[in-house]
Amino acid sequence: MVTLDRLILGSNAFEGVSYTSRSQSLHYLEHFGNPDNVVAVLAAAHSLGVKTFALSNTENVMAALEKFDRSKELTLLPVIPNVYEYARDASEKGVLGSVLEKAKRINMYQKIRLGLRALGKIKSVLSKDVFDLLVELIDFELAAFRPYKIGAVLLHGQVTDLALSSHNKGLLDLFFNLMRDEHGLEPMLATHNFGTLVPQLMEWGIKVPVMAPLNKRGFMMKPNPEACLKLVEEAGYPVIAKKVLAGGRLTPEEGFGFVADKKIISAVVGIGSVPEAYHSLSVGKQALKFTSA
Amino acid sequence: MRFPLEKSKKIRVGVLGLGKMGILHTALVNMIPEARLSALYDIDKKLAQYVEDAGLNVPFYADLDKMFSEVELDAVFLCGPTYTNLPLARACAARGLDIFAEKPLAHSFGAAKEMAALSSGRKLVHATGYLLSHWCLCKTAKKILAEGVLGKVFRYRASIYISEVFSRKKGWFYSREKSGGGAVLHIASHLISLLYLYFGQARSVFGRTQSVFSEVEDSGTALLEYAGGLQGTLDVSWSIPGYRLAYINLTVEAENGSLELTNDDLRLYLQKPAKGYPKEWTHLYRADMPSVSGFDLGGEGFYEEDKDFIDSCLDRRKPVVSWSEGLEVQRIIEAIYRSAASGQAVALKEVV
Repeated sequence: MVTLDRLILGSNAFEGVSYTSRSQSLHYLEHFGNPDNVVAVLAAAHSLGVKTFALSNTENVMAALEKFDRSKELTLLPVIPNVYEYARDASEKGVLGSVLEKAKRINMYQKIRLGLRALGKIKSVLSKDVFDLLVELIDFELAAFRPYKIGAVLLHGQVTDLALSSHNKGLLDLFFNLMRDEHGLEPMLATHNFGTLVPQLMEWGIKVPVMAPLNKRGFMMKPNPEACLKLVEEAGYPVIAKKVLAGGRLTPEEGFGFVADKKIISAVVGIGSVPEAYHSLSVGKQALKFTSA
Repeated sequence: MRFPLEKSKKIRVGVLGLGKMGILHTALVNMIPEARLSALYDIDKKLAQYVEDAGLNVPFYADLDKMFSEVELDAVFLCGPTYTNLPLARACAARGLDIFAEKPLAHSFGAAKEMAALSSGRKLVHATGYLLSHWCLCKTAKKILAEGVLGKVFRYRASIYISEVFSRKKGWFYSREKSGGGAVLHIASHLISLLYLYFGQARSVFGRTQSVFSEVEDSGTALLEYAGGLQGTLDVSWSIPGYRLAYINLTVEAENGSLELTNDDLRLYLQKPAKGYPKEWTHLYRADMPSVSGFDLGGEGFYEEDKDFIDSCLDRRKPVVSWSEGLEVQRIIEAIYRSAASGQAVALKEVV
């Protein structure tokens, strides 16, 4: 099993996600719409020794990786597929149509970089079933991360939770096999339903690292904070804590202080500015006793 | 006459229409302990493969009559294109099934009236998929307003925006005949359902709409007046950049202060303390709200609305948002459309 750093940089802020206010979200969108500003945070994190980065395949973040002169020193944890992008267009074009639309938006330079394999597969999606489509999506998105060091791959929480609610072990097995056998990568699962997912994984005999919300306020800890905390302590699953700052409602001192003594392997945190990077990541390093190489 | 079912009994559910919303409700029904997913229907036969791949382990039908003849159901979720809600509801109501209809209730006011009429004289449980009523912050705002914390309310401003349409569009969703409307019907309807829950039905509406990218409207503005003197404005657009998800903002002005509600927070200002809320500012964030949902898929509110419907089926009670509310929402929307077409204010009592 891959060993992850105790502290991981997340990409929510780079994608305009905020749980505190509309103005904050808009600020993130505008500010990080310029890849140079993403690079500045990546550089600050790197200088503090935080070199593992969990991210989705979004245009500004991928552009920042290209610009950042030390991006090859980072360990990436891609979260795939980028469900929100497909879901947005799904009413109009259907899920398949939205995938093709995304493929069309890639410019020629990127197409060459991605390689013909991914593009060839995209053309075939219309004739495929659900499992094959998932394979195409994963292959297609993973191709964008190929120039970099990939530590492990996280299945997007919406897909994990869809598989969970469909009691569909086959879909997870497909992801695991695809990652391990075809790509030589370690699979992990993201979820918003930790307290329901882990017992199901135990029943299915699956043990992989799980990324899930864990914070002092119980924010997004489903079905309830008590059940999640009990499982973190007792189930023995490698847990990557996210939403550690409860969507911005906890200070780094409170947030990291809470998760520090929990049985987690890592914590991931999104960063909204360079000063925030220095403060939050320093606090996180200290609380989690993370000494970077 | 149907009586409340024993709690041990599970509601046998069919999901009709397997697009984005159908897949979502299918997954959610699977996670409700009191429900049992029993059949799936879509006119697209190829989706049988999806059902198999998804491991749903329930029969799939592309023939509705065949489904009804082979599977015993208690309730259905209508998740197809909006224009299919009425014909599917007719078929299901005739068989005495309880019905959850994805929002809006129907593609036109006339069709919505027919839907509502289907429920009269029958004891069926009916719900509409307006999920804002199930958000914790929205429920808290409802309680504040209902308890009179703010005193007499005299004005509100409401908006809902999403970044969705920025170029010429085609397909059923952008056809007035099939979808029935654009941003007002499909986006603002969520907010209108909330306004109806908070303030009741308006007396008159003056509305304007604009169509830029297709034959349905991309934006709309309305002034609503109420019998008690309350006035409100509503603004919607699906063509504004920077809104990854639909975002609401409601500001209420009242005798004893103001309330501002968004997706993220609720800000209350009181001149005098009331019902346990202190004088001046109270600021509640979404992250501060208790976790009430047992499962999260698609965002806050979806599991809650499905669970509310299933519980209502078991208890034979009215869900939080029934077709009655769904019809009133469409009455306001119809008034906005009529006003936009005529350039005149429209009295709601004339929209019948």
